[in-house]
Amino acid sequence: MKRWHIRDIILVTIIAFFMGVIFWAIGPVYTILQAALAPVGLSPLANELVIGIWVMAGPLAGFVIRIPGSATLGELLGAVVEMFLGGMWGASTLISGVLQGFGSELGFIFTGYKRYGWFTLALSALTTTVVTFTWDLFRNGYAAYHLPLLLLLVCVRFVSVFLFGGVLTKLINNLLVRAHVLKN
Amino acid sequence: MATVTVHALTYTYPKQARPVLDRLSGTFPAGKFSLLTGVSGGGKSTLLKLIAGLLPNDEPASITFDDQPLSAIAPGQRASTVAMLFQEPSTQFTMDTVENELRFALENQQVPATEIPRRSDAALAFVGITPLKHRKLMQLSGGEQQKVALAIIVAMDSDVILLDEPFASIDPPTRLVLLEKLVALCTKRGKTIILADHDLSGYQQWVDHLAVLADGQLHLLSTAETQTRFAAFTPQRLQLTHVQLPNDQLTVCLRGTQLGLTHGDRQLLTPQNLKFYAHRTTLITGPNGSGKSTLFKALVRLGRYQGHIAYRDTDIKKIHKRHYARQVGLMFQAASAQFLNVTVAEELALSQKYGNSTYFTSTRIQQLLQQLNLAGRDDRVLYSLSSGQQKKLQLLCMLIMAPAVLLLDEPLKGLDYASIQAVMHILTTVQRDLNLTLILISHQLSGLNDLVDLHLQLADHQLTYQGVRT
Amino acid sequence: MNPSLKLALLVLIALEVSFAQVWSVNVALIVVSLGLMLINHIPWRRLLWLTLVPLFFAGTLVWSLMLRGNASPHFLIVLFTRMFVYVYMGGWFTLTTKPLWLTRSLEQNAKLPSKFAYGFLAAFNLMPKIQAEVATVRAAALMRGEVLHVWSPRLYFKVILAAMNWSDQLAAAMTSHGFVEDAPRTHALTVPLVARDWWLFGISLLLVQVGLFVGLP
Ligand SMILES: Nc1ncnc2c1ncn2[C@@H]1O[C@H](COP(=O)(O)OP(=O)(O)OP(=O)(O)O)[C@@H](O)[C@H]1O
Ligand SMILES: Nc1ncnc2c1ncn2[C@@H]1O[C@H](COP(=O)(O)OP(=O)(O)OP(=O)(O)O)[C@@H](O)[C@H]1O
Ligand SMILES: [Mg+2]
Ligand SMILES: [Mg+2]
Repeated sequence: MKRWHIRDIILVTIIAFFMGVIFWAIGPVYTILQAALAPVGLSPLANELVIGIWVMAGPLAGFVIRIPGSATLGELLGAVVEMFLGGMWGASTLISGVLQGFGSELGFIFTGYKRYGWFTLALSALTTTVVTFTWDLFRNGYAAYHLPLLLLLVCVRFVSVFLFGGVLTKLINNLLVRAHVLKN
Repeated sequence: MATVTVHALTYTYPKQARPVLDRLSGTFPAGKFSLLTGVSGGGKSTLLKLIAGLLPNDEPASITFDDQPLSAIAPGQRASTVAMLFQEPSTQFTMDTVENELRFALENQQVPATEIPRRSDAALAFVGITPLKHRKLMQLSGGEQQKVALAIIVAMDSDVILLDEPFASIDPPTRLVLLEKLVALCTKRGKTIILADHDLSGYQQWVDHLAVLADGQLHLLSTAETQTRFAAFTPQRLQLTHVQLPNDQLTVCLRGTQLGLTHGDRQLLTPQNLKFYAHRTTLITGPNGSGKSTLFKALVRLGRYQGHIAYRDTDIKKIHKRHYARQVGLMFQAASAQFLNVTVAEELALSQKYGNSTYFTSTRIQQLLQQLNLAGRDDRVLYSLSSGQQKKLQLLCMLIMAPAVLLLDEPLKGLDYASIQAVMHILTTVQRDLNLTLILISHQLSGLNDLVDLHLQLADHQLTYQGVRT
Repeated sequence: MNPSLKLALLVLIALEVSFAQVWSVNVALIVVSLGLMLINHIPWRRLLWLTLVPLFFAGTLVWSLMLRGNASPHFLIVLFTRMFVYVYMGGWFTLTTKPLWLTRSLEQNAKLPSKFAYGFLAAFNLMPKIQAEVATVRAAALMRGEVLHVWSPRLYFKVILAAMNWSDQLAAAMTSHGFVEDAPRTHALTVPLVARDWWLFGISLLLVQVGLFVGLP
């Protein structure tokens, strides 16, 4: 199994930062969505819609670097940067960063860091959803929602994570393979 | 002191059929300044990276430092054997400030903590940049960053110093200063220096034999041949003889009103009125870090500015971004910033799809590729091209887009002499045929004389047109 | 306080607060963090930002829960104050901790391998370039007639290529500046880790535990 070298460490960090910057760029969209959905009491839905972009650093780093721990590290570093840039969740970003990263890491762990295709991505999206949603049950008090809404939230979250962390990641991966910078 | 010997070195990049270096042999004598040149894509960067131990080499014994291969030297001592100064100034530092970077390098060599400040200060003094000690590296100009990189090599006391086009984005006066420092390192401290460059100006008095890398082999030119090569870069050849001051008959295409530029709290351009003229070629020159690239970024709405900028009398902030981007295009300083696709063919196809396709027919593009020595590389991955090859392709892609105003930031950076000639020919023809407006930034003046009509100089935070009034 | 210990304290408290439901402890933590930020001369604009943003998000969250959930008023207050604990504690930490000092401390005190410490740092110092690059990629695409959105694979492709390029260059530059993975290095500056740091760490944690214990219903 591959070991961490200085180049990989720098790479995972830069990728994480890039994702942080892109997430920043859509920050206003998120806020507007949240404000628009708030009056009808559906503001968490805004969170579920864009969460895919936020957790994308994990699968992307996992795919590009392919060393055990890269997905977790990528997501955690993104959180560190976000905290230093004055992100809105402060100290808890560190914890959710680890959890989100670990969520997508599980997908890679289950396939033994050997398969890098659709199956792994779908699995990773599923584990990410499960892990992060469990965490939100506690942190954001999601447990207190009525059941139908809760189900809606889970589904939207899975779709978002799958679209960004799965489909989009696969498309990016295809481009990188063609550019000879990644093995298939 | 260390002599670098390369013996029958063959190197092939992974997944490539042909070797870049083919049983290459050569000697770089201790305490001497060796200058390396050769066509774009010839393998200069590859050779230097191999010597520095930055590319995996299957035959480590083929490169020796005083008969020792690098792998036989203890890891902690390698940096004091060989160090490299890179072409891209900004991505060669780990730390935030100059002082911290020096500390980092000396800590790596396990210099005792008490010894570090003295050695850092001495190195900064040697290069003459003591005032930069506490500055942030990211906020230095390219020329200053190269000086810092040199100071670090001095502090580490490396025997062999490799430089890969270190002056590619450096203004001529700074270049001379840096060159003098390098020569002093040879003569006063006995360092071995190997430098790769296309622009041969300023080396004449220090170098007797030019080493040329061609067809995977190294050839040492005779004194006479060397002098012939240098002759193309004498100061007389670098003058602009027919630039004129703008007159009233010219149409204004871009107009800055009280246009000012800042970075942080530093004023780069004090607010001034400025006009750029349509259907002409304007050259902008000025020292490193004076704000030329920043001006271009403001013109394409990629950066903030004070005052107003109008394109054909409409404020550019009022023009739709997508529309404006097709009118005023920028060829970025870094070639890779321009590309969007994977292969050469795809990139050209994209430009053809949205560009001026009646003029740039497929046959014409093939012709141009031929002229630029890029033909037959359609399926090559863009990012595996050498820096000069990328630059030429970048220019072609932007020309095919044929925006009404094309801004070119250092279009000649890292090009060999033949390529500069070809590029100049193409630029002149296309500009005339399509009546384009070209505005270019360049430190390198050789070959520009025929193209340039107007000359703006950025000095003391002001842009002023140069030349004689007609 | 020693940066590594400060980080550990921050994460531990944030973790506890996420599960505990004692709003008085939350309020106490908010007051202490606010005090610490004020002592350290936080710019007022930043403080305003750190207050308005969580106010908005905590407000919408609580409102949604009231409308669509069955949470008790007590729980809503806990959620509301929790958000401020996160943000204020994070604010205090970033205000008083320099990234370079933190990495040095992690290397020296927490025995993080130096390749991680300096790898992170090298990338961190590239931050201004990273921010500019995203804008550049999008502008370059516009000039070629293409629009890149957050869902365009090409945007990320370009960004990852830039990341790979820079990481290659940075790794080469670090090697060239004498950095060897897992090799011993000297330290020009040492980050102190003294008994006082441990006392501060211990007592702070203890106080939070006592508060949680007393406050639990
Ligand atoms: N990573 C790579 N993979 C495949 N081919 C490569 C790679 N890097 C360089 N090459 C090829 O190797 C050849 C030599 O490249 P190199 O960068 O050493 O040239 P150079 O002499 O430095 O050129 P320039 O003057 O343009 O910088 C070129 O044809 C280039 O396309
Ligand atoms: N993102 C940034 N943050 C802080 N300072 C910056 C940034 N970008 C550029 N600068 C500073 O602004 C100044 C002007 O930079 P600019 O790139 O415009 O110079 P230039 O005239 O194009 O120089 P060169 O000839 O080296 O390309 C420089 O001193 C540079 O260090
Ligand atoms: Mg080169
Ligand atoms: Mg510039």
